[in-house]
Amino acid sequence: MDENRLYDSEEIKKIKMEKEKWKEQTLRDKAGEKTYYTENGIPIDILYTPEHIADLDYLSDLGFPGQPPYVRGVYPNMYRGRLFTVRQLSGFGGPEDCNRRIKFLLDQGATGINIVFDLPTIRGYDSDDYRAEGNVGICGVAIDSLADMESLFDSIPIDEMTSSVVTHLPSTTVVLLAMYTVMAEKRGVPLEKLGGTTQNDFLMETTIGSAPEIIPPAHSFRLQCDAIEYASKNLPRWNPVSYNGYNLREAGTTAVQEVAIALANCIATAEELIKRGNDIDDFARRLSFFWDLCNDFFEEIAKCRASRKLYQEIISNRFKARNPKSELMRFHVQTAGNTLTAVEPLNNIARSAVQGLAAILGGCQSLHVDSFDEAYSAPTEEAALVSLRTQQILQVETNVVNTVDPLAGSYYVESLTRDIGDKIKDYIDKIESKGGIIAVAESGWLHREISDFAYNQQKQIESGERKIVGVNYFVSDKEEESKIDVFRYPETEEKQKQKLSELRQKRDQEKLEHSLKVLREKCHSDENIMPFVKDAVEAYATLGEIQEIFREEFGLWQFPLV
Amino acid sequence: MSENIKVVMAKLGLDIHWRGAVALTRMLRDQGMEVVYLGNQFPESIVRSAVQEGADVVGLSTLGGNHLTLGPKVVEMLKEQGLDDVLILMGGVIPPEDIPKLKEAGIAEVFGPESKIETITDFIRNNVA
Repeated sequence: MDENRLYDSEEIKKIKMEKEKWKEQTLRDKAGEKTYYTENGIPIDILYTPEHIADLDYLSDLGFPGQPPYVRGVYPNMYRGRLFTVRQLSGFGGPEDCNRRIKFLLDQGATGINIVFDLPTIRGYDSDDYRAEGNVGICGVAIDSLADMESLFDSIPIDEMTSSVVTHLPSTTVVLLAMYTVMAEKRGVPLEKLGGTTQNDFLMETTIGSAPEIIPPAHSFRLQCDAIEYASKNLPRWNPVSYNGYNLREAGTTAVQEVAIALANCIATAEELIKRGNDIDDFARRLSFFWDLCNDFFEEIAKCRASRKLYQEIISNRFKARNPKSELMRFHVQTAGNTLTAVEPLNNIARSAVQGLAAILGGCQSLHVDSFDEAYSAPTEEAALVSLRTQQILQVETNVVNTVDPLAGSYYVESLTRDIGDKIKDYIDKIESKGGIIAVAESGWLHREISDFAYNQQKQIESGERKIVGVNYFVSDKEEESKIDVFRYPETEEKQKQKLSELRQKRDQEKLEHSLKVLREKCHSDENIMPFVKDAVEAYATLGEIQEIFREEFGLWQFPLV
Repeated sequence: MSENIKVVMAKLGLDIHWRGAVALTRMLRDQGMEVVYLGNQFPESIVRSAVQEGADVVGLSTLGGNHLTLGPKVVEMLKEQGLDDVLILMGGVIPPEDIPKLKEAGIAEVFGPESKIETITDFIRNNVA
């Protein structure tokens, strides 16, 4: 095997010897006493040389982009073929307001749509539900029924433009995806033309986000798989899941846990869908991922590269995929909201730009750059534009997109890619040894892992061990009120309530009740729920009404408290 | 004296971001306070728990923009229960311009993402009746 390595062992021996000499004669005591670690606890050497990657076999460990193991990228030409999609989140107010913001972003050169919903929509409550009070249209757009979905995408070319529809939970994904497809059908757009993504992650429903009412993990997981299975048969261009590492990381995990937990969910999905009689190649090519890129620049890039390889190994070795497209880990990146500060908010532009650069060097397929006002409210138009411009500057002014995987071969990055990959694998094994992803969500083990991380990190910030500029390091002594405009849409709640009350009067009651009755029964069957949700949506059942059925039929689960 | 301080901590309404609330819960426990973490709750049940637990402090966490609607509601409902000496604190992502309104409504203090644990514990110790 030795001959396939990048360096022969004689050469490595020589380098080792010379390095020792360099340490003694040149570096001497200048390295300092302190040991440095990456965010994930990998010790950082003062200097990396070929000896760190002495075992690296170029052809089998790295290969070429567009070929297994895809460390260097999922497409052969990467950004020369197609630049990553500039996919800035937008969502606020009612669907009519949000429709205008989407058009604004598209006019300014955004190349994809990325819709975020308000909390009641995310959690499946109608705008007129008492539990929605104060949250309607605040952190995203309010969607109650098919009619709202139609207004949201009014005169937007959904057959040409891809839409990421950030439906966090499976229980709302099945409804919102049904609304999206029925909307398309009504507009005469064939389903096979619909390109886009729904998030659809059962961990988002049961672990990452908490809520007063939660359906049990196993049921949420079933709905997650239903949406994936439905899309694999009807929506060839749709990514029905975006395994959400991002929000895990934001809630409190390491990069290793972020990727490992998402992959463990992906493994469980594949097992379930195969058990239902599907072939891995029916659905794997449309599984997608969502990563959070924090501040440890090189390690985040290494994470992206390592995770592509792990995914390829899982899909091809474990699940025996034959279609090469099934092996491609495609991922969206959002820069890290948790690294942004409320003090000196303009500093956040620098943080986000560095994280955005890491995403490109990591080979992302689409990118959202966070806005500098993140710690205050949903982005204002000004802040959203700075984020969009950050992406465009990275794309056209820096020349980083014109060669594929430019950090390959860096002794440091390759060594990190190997080490972080090993750590991710170990953590997947740990989850599987505890019964798999559903079991660790049910038992609350996963919640404790997240809580422990969040608690420990906060302690490091308090003690100053973890430095944050402006917060506990280089703190400006002048008290200044930052001037941030706050985004508000107070009239949305009333508007949505008004529309709902009209809708409830107007719709065909008989058709509605029949569709809801069937849906209720199907909750207890083995059948895929999607067609029945579509029927209900078409009869103008609201998101909240359908959710109520899920809550009643699946029951509620107590979120593990700490 | 912090051994005797009892805190009821909740995520206010639908906001899903539990990281800050949980980290703070654990850090206040480290400071010797007794902290009951309720998870996500609406004002009615937060107040019910505060009454049952005999809370000295109610901590409300929200990053979801519902602070002005649901925050004052908790204050009102606690008053209705005759608990006007409970210290009500808020934390999360809250625009500075809303803080005076919250204080006027009876929220004793608002802590942002960068508040130090020391600041929060000192405030509690100095203000619990």
